[in-house]
Amino acid sequence: MPATGGSGKPLAGPTIHVALILSAAFALLAGAAGYWGVVRSPELVRSPDDAAVIAAARTVPRGQILDRTGAVLARNKADANGELYRVYAGPAISQVVGYASRQYGEAGLERAYDAELSGLAGDPLADAFAKFGADRYDPKDLTLSLSLDLQTAAVRALGDHRGAVVMLDPRSGEVLALASTPTYDASTIANPASAQAAFAALQDDPAQPLLPRATLGRYVPGSVFKIVTAIAGLGSGAITPQTTYKEQPGAEKAGLLVEGYRVRDGHHPQTGSTALDLVGATEVSCNIWYALTGLRTGGANLVAYAERMGFGSALPFDLPTAVSQVTGGKGAQPGGFLDDVELANASYGQAEAFVTPLQMALVAATVANDGELMRPRLVTSMAGHGGVRTIGPESMGRVIPASDAQAINAAMVRAVEGPLGRLFTTGAKVSGVTTAGKSGTAELGGSGEPHSWFIGFAPAENPTIAIAVVVEQAGRGGEVAAPIAGRLMARYLKGAQ
Amino acid sequence: MALRSAAAAREPSLPRVLGPIRPRARWQELRLLGLVALTLAVGSVSLGAARTGGFAPYDPRGLAIYLGALLVAHVAQVLAGRRTDQVLLPAVSLLGGLSLLLMERLPQDLVVQRFFGSSFGLADVQLIWLLGAVGVATTLGIVVRSDSWLRRYKYTWAAAGVGLLLLTFVLGTEINGQRLTLQIGPLSGQPSELLKVILVVFLAGYLSENRALLVEQDTRVGPLRLPPLPYLAPMVAMWAIALGIVVVQRDLGAALLFFGVFLALLYAATGRISLVVIGLALFLVGSAAMANLFEHVRTRIDVWIDPFADPLGTGYQVIQALHAFARGGLLGQGLGGGLPLIAGRPPIPEIHTDFPLAALGEELGIVGVIAILGIYLAIVERGLRIGVSAADDFRALLAIGLALVIGIQAFIIAAGNLKVLPLTGVTLPFISYGGSSLLANGLVVGLLLALSDKGVEPPPPPGAVPRWRRLGRRGTA
Repeated sequence: MPATGGSGKPLAGPTIHVALILSAAFALLAGAAGYWGVVRSPELVRSPDDAAVIAAARTVPRGQILDRTGAVLARNKADANGELYRVYAGPAISQVVGYASRQYGEAGLERAYDAELSGLAGDPLADAFAKFGADRYDPKDLTLSLSLDLQTAAVRALGDHRGAVVMLDPRSGEVLALASTPTYDASTIANPASAQAAFAALQDDPAQPLLPRATLGRYVPGSVFKIVTAIAGLGSGAITPQTTYKEQPGAEKAGLLVEGYRVRDGHHPQTGSTALDLVGATEVSCNIWYALTGLRTGGANLVAYAERMGFGSALPFDLPTAVSQVTGGKGAQPGGFLDDVELANASYGQAEAFVTPLQMALVAATVANDGELMRPRLVTSMAGHGGVRTIGPESMGRVIPASDAQAINAAMVRAVEGPLGRLFTTGAKVSGVTTAGKSGTAELGGSGEPHSWFIGFAPAENPTIAIAVVVEQAGRGGEVAAPIAGRLMARYLKGAQ
Repeated sequence: MALRSAAAAREPSLPRVLGPIRPRARWQELRLLGLVALTLAVGSVSLGAARTGGFAPYDPRGLAIYLGALLVAHVAQVLAGRRTDQVLLPAVSLLGGLSLLLMERLPQDLVVQRFFGSSFGLADVQLIWLLGAVGVATTLGIVVRSDSWLRRYKYTWAAAGVGLLLLTFVLGTEINGQRLTLQIGPLSGQPSELLKVILVVFLAGYLSENRALLVEQDTRVGPLRLPPLPYLAPMVAMWAIALGIVVVQRDLGAALLFFGVFLALLYAATGRISLVVIGLALFLVGSAAMANLFEHVRTRIDVWIDPFADPLGTGYQVIQALHAFARGGLLGQGLGGGLPLIAGRPPIPEIHTDFPLAALGEELGIVGVIAILGIYLAIVERGLRIGVSAADDFRALLAIGLALVIGIQAFIIAAGNLKVLPLTGVTLPFISYGGSSLLANGLVVGLLLALSDKGVEPPPPPGAVPRWRRLGRRGTA
């Protein structure tokens, strides 16, 4: 019975169009509800900003955090009013475990795993019915790959220096130590009675103890970066382990002229006028050989191989990480370099190269694990009402063929054990174990002391531990970082976990 | 329609019941109301279980009063004997009932009003307004038999509307940076809710009178074929009014609603895409200008594009609403099971007026949200059906416009809750807390009911055996 009215043209047609458009608009709303309620739900309900996460933190006991041996790193304690707060195993783990505070929120793993620790359900499909049960909250106990013993030893080894130590198992990616100094006592922030004074003092401290240097600190890498250059050179086929450069011996004294800039070296008179290959250049840490290798490899390959190991983006890790870079990326040359001078300098870890200690540990682990990089991880299992969920090893992909990795491995052994290499890496050798490594002395420009670096792994034949050590403004790599690395690897290999 | 005389066609009025009023059973409405009562009772028990752990309705008194009022409304319509729509009241009362359950489970001190020395909390006040809305809708559905009071005085209504708007501009009370509330003595209200009804009345009158001209005559402007330009003046006026509302009242929602209803009704009346295109172009130009000129508009748009840019500041409210949908998931947390309190407050500021859909999304899940959206579409469908089968253009456009007001308003705020559109502070019809909103929407439903009167039943075909259900009705005219 359509209306005809004065115009004689029925209204029904356009009205149906309007109805269809409105129906489509409502269908869009239903789709949006599905998007937020199902697709984005797992991420949002785990976020520390979620109201349910905040509310549960005040009432439900959080899950415990344990180290690889079962030692308790974080537990709950009731205050006078019966409300819960966290107590931690000591200052050594604060940069990793972080804190959960009523006043100041969460940091570290306490933040990253807040939803699991506070016991909020996450998966929208699996948990669709679970939430109607009597036990609404299911706090998970986290077991870490971290070794409290090794972590404490690492913090003690760094002593009063500012710096970081990362130790991981190259075969599984399990992180054993993730030390940053100076550290702080997270228990004082978690305890409501002392939180305010403790937090204010830490925020004002110029040494930035709240900064987890191992994951968020960005350092000039210096010579430890040469391993990245070697990986890119061999991986891209630009060089072989036997590659030598005829201009290299001559440039030792006067420096290598690149587009009018002189790459200088000259701290290894022992090799005289020999044209060095990969092993020789790594043993004496020859800047000129590595600059030439970088130029031959090209900026695009250098950046691409670095990105295979995690450069250029945050690492897939349990904690947030800073982005490591080979170059600022603003230039027009391949890979984003400004010119060949920047590329040559970046090839031995200067120019605009900045790295996190965790990233450099992954570079060592790549070589140690025959060219295949395992995803670094801290949480190895989560135990709740529903049983234990294990988080197993996961490959980040093969970076280079095993034969190339073994060539670099051999060069890094020479850098620690060779008659000349030994001079640069005093103390890195684990007695009785073939040790591989590379020291670094990162020039900061100006008059400041350089950062002291070491990356390495052991035993070289079948590596079970990879390490990266950086000590801020402590001088030459061989003198400070290398002995720390040697002691810590020895401690691990003796089985003292 | 053949029964109607020529005079009645020129000056139509709603059909009158011939002879004495006789009760007429409304079985469909009764069955649907039974379903509504069952749904709300189950909801109330679910809420009770979540709150007290026992197996009992949460607030039996409030629910009983509400359901009793619905029964009275039904019986009154049965006694009045009109052949009006039987789906609208149950559909609206289900939304109202959900609103009541929601307001019962929110902290009662969100709203405290004092009447006659005693104070009433959120749910009590909302129940009073819900009863008022049901009363208004039913009364209009029974009493209104002629539309001439709307049709004849459309310019008067329009003038009253503009007057109301100006009054709000000048005398309005500013709350949260928006000048929406008009307070006269102890009474306060949001005139834009009433204004939307007046707007539809005026537009229905104007468009039905000028429809022939708008449809059939052309002015060519470039490639566009437009109606005679003078007749586009109302569009420009509407646009200006909408912009004025944004500038002076800072009420993006009302502006969007008015302009949206206007465009939809214009299209329904004329079937001309070109008008919609011009309207949308004007809308885009206006929006761009507003966003450039006014901080509050730009903030809304920035928050819409990326609320997570300022999660604890401007984006907080929107993000918390999205979190609520995320916590709800498919099936929801159950009534009373969601909306965790932080320091005794619900997680979303202004949850009872601006975010009831997010609250229900958390507790009833996506399934519940889709059901609620479906009910709105059902209401719109009934309204459009009433419009299309109406006896003349004015009544048709009036019904279509009223239905679209409900549908578009629900869309605007639901889209704001779900980050489909920037958030604007219009109410979710029949669910949001608020007297102005509920009474105005009751008015809309009442007019739709009145317009839906099918009048006198035609005589049954010879030989047809009346079904038992028809026994209560008058068989022949």
